[in-house]
Amino acid sequence: MSDNNVMKGTAGTGLLLLSAIVLVVSFGFVMYNLTVYGHASFNVSSSLPWGQPISTYLYFALASSGLGLIAALPLVFGFKQYYGIAKRSIFLAFIILISGMAVLALELGHPFRMLWAIPLNMQIQSAMFWMGVFYAADLLFLLWKFQKMESGEWDSKATRTIGIASFLGVLLASGTLALIFGMMSMRPFWFDGSLPIYFYLTAITSGMAALVFFSYLAYGFDRSRMPERMQSAFTGGLPKLFAAVLGLTVLFVGVRAITGLYSNHPEVYHVWADYLFASPVYVLSVLFGLIVPFLLMLVPKLRVQSQIQVLVAILAFGGLFAERYFFVVGGQVVPLFKGTWAWDMIQYSPSAAEWGLTIMGSAMFFTLYVLGEKYFNLSAVPEQLAATETPGAPEKATA
Amino acid sequence: MAKWGMVIDLDKCTGCQACTTACAMENNTLPGESWQDVLFYHEGEYPTAQMKWLPRPCMQCESPSCVYVCPTRATYKDDEAGGIVFVDWNKCIGCKYCMIACPYGVRFYADEQPLVEPDIRDVYPGENGQMWSPPYQNPEQDWRRGIGIQPKGVVSKCTFCHHRVSKAPEGVADLDEDDPELVEYVPACVRTCAPKARYFGDLDNPESNVNRLIGDKHGVRLLDHTGNRPQVYYLGAGAGVPAFRPRNSRRGD
Ligand code: SF4
Ligand code: SF4
Repeated sequence: MSDNNVMKGTAGTGLLLLSAIVLVVSFGFVMYNLTVYGHASFNVSSSLPWGQPISTYLYFALASSGLGLIAALPLVFGFKQYYGIAKRSIFLAFIILISGMAVLALELGHPFRMLWAIPLNMQIQSAMFWMGVFYAADLLFLLWKFQKMESGEWDSKATRTIGIASFLGVLLASGTLALIFGMMSMRPFWFDGSLPIYFYLTAITSGMAALVFFSYLAYGFDRSRMPERMQSAFTGGLPKLFAAVLGLTVLFVGVRAITGLYSNHPEVYHVWADYLFASPVYVLSVLFGLIVPFLLMLVPKLRVQSQIQVLVAILAFGGLFAERYFFVVGGQVVPLFKGTWAWDMIQYSPSAAEWGLTIMGSAMFFTLYVLGEKYFNLSAVPEQLAATETPGAPEKATA
Repeated sequence: MAKWGMVIDLDKCTGCQACTTACAMENNTLPGESWQDVLFYHEGEYPTAQMKWLPRPCMQCESPSCVYVCPTRATYKDDEAGGIVFVDWNKCIGCKYCMIACPYGVRFYADEQPLVEPDIRDVYPGENGQMWSPPYQNPEQDWRRGIGIQPKGVVSKCTFCHHRVSKAPEGVADLDEDDPELVEYVPACVRTCAPKARYFGDLDNPESNVNRLIGDKHGVRLLDHTGNRPQVYYLGAGAGVPAFRPRNSRRGD
């Protein structure tokens, strides 16, 4: 079955080579800049300390969480019709989180110090402490779960327990990641107790986009070459779920925008009116990265077509990358207590080194992805299910 | 132990920035890394246009949001040292979360693009782990309290000149620069202030001059709605911060 996986052949090797080269070059570029110029090679400043490297980490970490949540459908909630996508979801979640962490490490002043300073000091009041704890646990559980699947142990009691623990870990990790921003009352653009919900929704949206794109990529963008379990997932409930989370994301962005524009609060209003909606990139990203994909997935005839699914996945990648970027930067553009030293909103756009980090993270992800497709059977399903499949007759989807 | 507090009288402050300069010399900070700064604000339009200014050290908050967010306890409030908030440069990982969480914008990550050229860090390259090593340096160094010239990759901020005030005699109510016995222990910005707009003393001592000034002259804390409860109080007219308005906003002034 897995013979159809083009990543196992020369196309995969080509992509592997290409991404490995991009990875080495971008890593070299970033390291050169960090060694020679330090963080002065970034465009962030003491007035706007978190820039694109942080939003890239956010994007990756949440896509990973989204994939983890999607994998919970079959593995925790027993939606057996989605077994075909479970293993790939877990694998993608693992490697995308690793790539995000690599980006974050190069953004920090002292990444190695973090390894001892966070556990030894137990600052349990800090949301960042808990994010570290939960994402570390998440990483571990993902690895463990993947290892269980590799050994064919899909349904044992241990596997199910790990599955539930992992599901909770994902919720806690992405939830605390949201609260890192959401609890900052001095930054009213972020201050919002419901941010975890927004993060869950957008996490599933970006996770879904990743799952769709990389599943299709593995089979040369030809759905008929996929195993039946996967085909039925992509023609059955998944596109509907994709439509739903896209719609809810649009809704969430919409109500945040309306609240912000209605508010008199200068630190919220000006962000929406004079930064976000004043930026053509932001407007285009909402339009073509969220609204258009949602409308496409809304039409029952369109949402099952493989080209549309891949297109929507690519659009949502861009839309959510921008969403993360504008969310992180938007919370800081209003100068805090700077007087007329800050004449206007704080200007920021990523430097070459910051783009280098984003590219490095993506290239790392692609490299690990092709390696995964080559060395594992990511489309595997539990043996008893595999045995019931009759070739050429996809099982009718039930959701 | 004392609880150190600062009182700044805006009716006396002339906005001369002598404090900013004294702080930069005392603590060897970089251009732009103004642990102490004087912020200027303009508010309103003709005929009510106003120019305001206020000196801004770290407020050494009683409920310091920077401390709560720091994942490594590198930022900590030391009640043994008069409630000063320090950054331990041996522990800081440079995540910059504290800079996000401080409502007063008083924290610096000096590993950034230089404010002025030539970059003084290139002129005096760092030695012994310092980010830069100028020929004149304050000999006081204590990385566990963020005193001295910082290494790369950490956050720096005002220390209320702990290296000075910590040497003051036990139990003293105020550190007054006019008292020859005490002048060496006064924070650099307070000591240098020509119109004597700054006062420094023990907020826990009912007899202290700083407490009397706050009580009698209606001392206020800035951005009080943030709940951070600064240990820095302001006196006089103009102790308020106009809201931010960007130029060319869609919704005018
Ligand atoms: S002013 Fe900022 S840095 Fe200083 S103690 Fe308060 S929150 Fe912390
Ligand atoms: S930058 Fe340093 S002091 Fe600030 S929160 Fe991070 S570890 Fe703590």
